[in-house]
Amino acid sequence: MTKLETLAAKSHAAGVVDSTGMAAEERRLNLLRQIALAGGKISPEASPNTQHGYAYAPLGEGVGRDLEILTRLGYLEARFFDRVSLCPKCDSHHLNVREVCPGCRRAHLASDGLLHHFRCGYVGIPSEFSPSADGSYLCPKCKCKMHHLGVEFDRLGKAFVCRGCGLISENPPVEAVCLACGACTPADNLVSTIVFSYVLTSRGAAAVRSGSLFDGEEELICIADAPVYRRNVILEFLDHEMKRLQHFNSAFSVLLADCPTSTIDQSGDGSSAQWLTRLRRCLRDVDLLGQLADSRYLVILPQTKRREADALRRGIVAELGPQSPISLSIAEITKPQHLSEILAPFKTRGDPS
Amino acid sequence: MSGFFHYFLSVLDPMSNLGFSRALGELMSSELPRWWLFIVVPAAIMVLPSLVCWLVYLVKPALIRPPLPARKDQAEPLVSVVIAGRNESATIGECIRGALRCGYSNVEVIFVDDYSDDNSVAIARRAALSVTGSRWDADRVRIFPSPRRNGKASSLNIGIRMARGEFIVIHDADSVIQYGAMQHWLLPFADPRVGGVAANIRVHNSTVNLLTRLQEIEYALKFTAMRFIMARLDILSIISGMGGMFRAEILHRLGGFDTGLGDDTDLTTMVRKQRWKIAFSIDAVAWTTVPETRRHLWLQRERWRRNWIKIRLSKHRDQFVLGRYGFANAVVAVLLFFRVLLPVTGIVGLFWAAFENGPLSVPEIVVTFYWIMLIYLLIRLLIARDIASTPKPRNFWLIFIYPFYLFFLVDLAQVYAELTELFRIGVKHPYVPDHVWEEIPWW
Repeated sequence: MTKLETLAAKSHAAGVVDSTGMAAEERRLNLLRQIALAGGKISPEASPNTQHGYAYAPLGEGVGRDLEILTRLGYLEARFFDRVSLCPKCDSHHLNVREVCPGCRRAHLASDGLLHHFRCGYVGIPSEFSPSADGSYLCPKCKCKMHHLGVEFDRLGKAFVCRGCGLISENPPVEAVCLACGACTPADNLVSTIVFSYVLTSRGAAAVRSGSLFDGEEELICIADAPVYRRNVILEFLDHEMKRLQHFNSAFSVLLADCPTSTIDQSGDGSSAQWLTRLRRCLRDVDLLGQLADSRYLVILPQTKRREADALRRGIVAELGPQSPISLSIAEITKPQHLSEILAPFKTRGDPS
Repeated sequence: MSGFFHYFLSVLDPMSNLGFSRALGELMSSELPRWWLFIVVPAAIMVLPSLVCWLVYLVKPALIRPPLPARKDQAEPLVSVVIAGRNESATIGECIRGALRCGYSNVEVIFVDDYSDDNSVAIARRAALSVTGSRWDADRVRIFPSPRRNGKASSLNIGIRMARGEFIVIHDADSVIQYGAMQHWLLPFADPRVGGVAANIRVHNSTVNLLTRLQEIEYALKFTAMRFIMARLDILSIISGMGGMFRAEILHRLGGFDTGLGDDTDLTTMVRKQRWKIAFSIDAVAWTTVPETRRHLWLQRERWRRNWIKIRLSKHRDQFVLGRYGFANAVVAVLLFFRVLLPVTGIVGLFWAAFENGPLSVPEIVVTFYWIMLIYLLIRLLIARDIASTPKPRNFWLIFIYPFYLFFLVDLAQVYAELTELFRIGVKHPYVPDHVWEEIPWW
């Protein structure tokens, strides 16, 4: 394999370049253009042959991932369209959902109202009461004719009778059979996914007008999925705090938070975004949370002394609980060189965002 | 009259002397001919069967309380527990949980709610979910809320119609099946002639007050000891609705209960008429909640008696044609007369003695009879305690007032029920809805 081929393969694997050779950004921009042409809104259409039963026909196939990314980046707004039940085994929407007999698990059920003969108390399904020539029923127990519904006999609600085993149940369980893989699943255990329609946002419309997705100085100030400032933003705030320190001698503290993704993957307990969101909720409104490196985050605690910061740290640790993957350390910044020492390890790293 | 009660109270006084020896001496020295009949006849009726059972139990306990087989030769048959109830929210949860956790795996529970005004259905569903853990396990518990009030018989018939089991347990919503009872309940069905097995009914709330303690003694003597003996003699004519197991084929063939009372006597009589044997299992224990007030007890016993008369003496009067349904059923029919006559005789006898117009006018005789009854009761209680572990020993002292409980509450309620039924006063059963009652052909 040549170097060029290796590079192309890596690009495909990373999703940067698609099979047509189009760059991801160009592909996503095309999607935005198509949505803009469609009136700024694209809704899914029923498509039985696709895996989830819906497709965005004008956009082509396999656009789901790009639409999600564009939504996350703020170019599109997702709106609820429908909920689709899927087979938990093969993820197909080709499901046959029906009541089954709680005894033999067969779907050979008939919905019959039980008949109750007042005179002798006999209760049975309608087929047990043989009809007479004069239109009345004949009770199989006392052999009396039943003429008037409500006076001589009554219907006892709705019941399901299994034609296979004869079991009568009032509220049989519901089961789904996947027509793709044949798996039988109780209705309660089906996987449910939401299908969205997408609306172009002002940011998306601006991107279409400018012919490129935004980056650099115009990128979002927060990282995706969590209320955490991007590196350059938090460094900007940090710089501002340093100026306040120099001018007003206003000391502040910083919390360094380590949130290694490997630990989260092993524990399987939520995502790093969820933990960071929880961390943000534990902080005060004036505190600032931002990303320094892949798994290291910085919290600026303005006008906070070490003792107060330590109390805050203890409160956060208690709030997050023992299963938290986030470890916190404190530093009080009273001189500019303090900060230099803290940030030294991250100087050489690139912007993770 | 005042002399009678003065004497009576004097011999009851534990500080005076041993009342029995004094009273017995006076009975023996009285001018009453054949005074020994007062000792022998009650002994023959009350004590002798219990004594025989106890002796058999001492020699060969397995004959009285058969043990479970050490090894299961075949798969456990499916047992359907059918419960029907109306406004039973206070007890239905425990009832369903008890049935599901009775130590028998192959069991299904069917609860038919007879159009309750309370939240019985919700509580039943919650109880079922708490045991099964999932609605997917719905085949173990099925709950049928009736869209209209139909009465107990029809509600039980719905449950019977829904049951899939080889055996069906008819169970009251205020009763609980004891852990391990189901296996013992099934044992008598090894005999293919047995069509139904009565459970040993014990009192769940016996510690509440004096009345429930007295009922515990009554249940131990009547429901445990007496029914065991009657079953052994093949003359047991009732499987209590609090706990009775039947072969499903019999109930399906009969079409379940007949409309109206939903009475256990009715069903048992129908089963007996088909020449099936009725058995009793001491170890198949079902705990029931008994009335805690005199008024409720009176109403219960009155209802039981009126049902009993309606069914035994009216609906199934053909059983008095001796020989039509076999020898055992003929004996049952003859015993029915005694069951009607005994309370009436007792009350008539009391009035006779009180007005000093007959042989019982001598108070010493009545008092002696009381003491004899006490001794016999004590013997029976000791035997019941030894064999069936009921009643509790701390309730033994109640035998001193037990005859009064029987006479002035139970017997009087029965006689009142017999008289009102005889004169057709308040014939309609309070538990049967109007639209069903109007169609019933039996009474």
